[in-house]
Amino acid sequence: MPILSYREKTLYASLIAEILVYGPYFFLHQQNSVNKVGGMIAAIIALQILLQLLIALFTRNRVTDERDHLIELRGYRAGYLTLASLMVLGLAALWFHATRGDINFENHRIGLHFLSVFFGMLVIADITKTATQIVSYRRAL
Amino acid sequence: MAGIRNRIRELRAAREMTQQDLADRVGVTRQTVIAMEQDKYSPSLETAFKVALALGVTLEQCFQYEPRRERG
Repeated sequence: MPILSYREKTLYASLIAEILVYGPYFFLHQQNSVNKVGGMIAAIIALQILLQLLIALFTRNRVTDERDHLIELRGYRAGYLTLASLMVLGLAALWFHATRGDINFENHRIGLHFLSVFFGMLVIADITKTATQIVSYRRAL
Repeated sequence: MAGIRNRIRELRAAREMTQQDLADRVGVTRQTVIAMEQDKYSPSLETAFKVALALGVTLEQCFQYEPRRERG
């Protein structure tokens, strides 16, 4: 069992929180409510605070250094690239379906669907960011 | 693998210093010391100087640069 640094533990906590909260939202529920998105954000913040508090409580050495910052930057780069790619793909799909007449812009729920898709992109980018950082730590950089 | 190599493990062992001791003196995590000893992470110049200082040697005695061989 490898010894994890404070930053690594917080990353695992973030990943667990993201999967626990976003997983059921995207796979079990209908993503059709702004309130659910709001509840989701509140739930992830609460769970993150709880997990970070527990980690801080049980970790004596909370030093972070230049390698942590480098890995953090690497994670943000991966997250940004993922988000940018998904946005381009999403816009291309929107344009394709709009030109074919598949999308009914008169439908009042269309805004919620777009919100849900955009939120999903943010979630995927965030999980990619966290996962990239964990992999970087496991590969020693 | 070419690049920056170091003798941290050897110098640390000679001084009977643990990885955590060195990490505390340099101000990095133990995981960073492990990564440096395995040549998987090249520290910044500032950290390299701190490591050399903590081990009581010069930068050149601790770190060596091996240029990558050009193919062809």
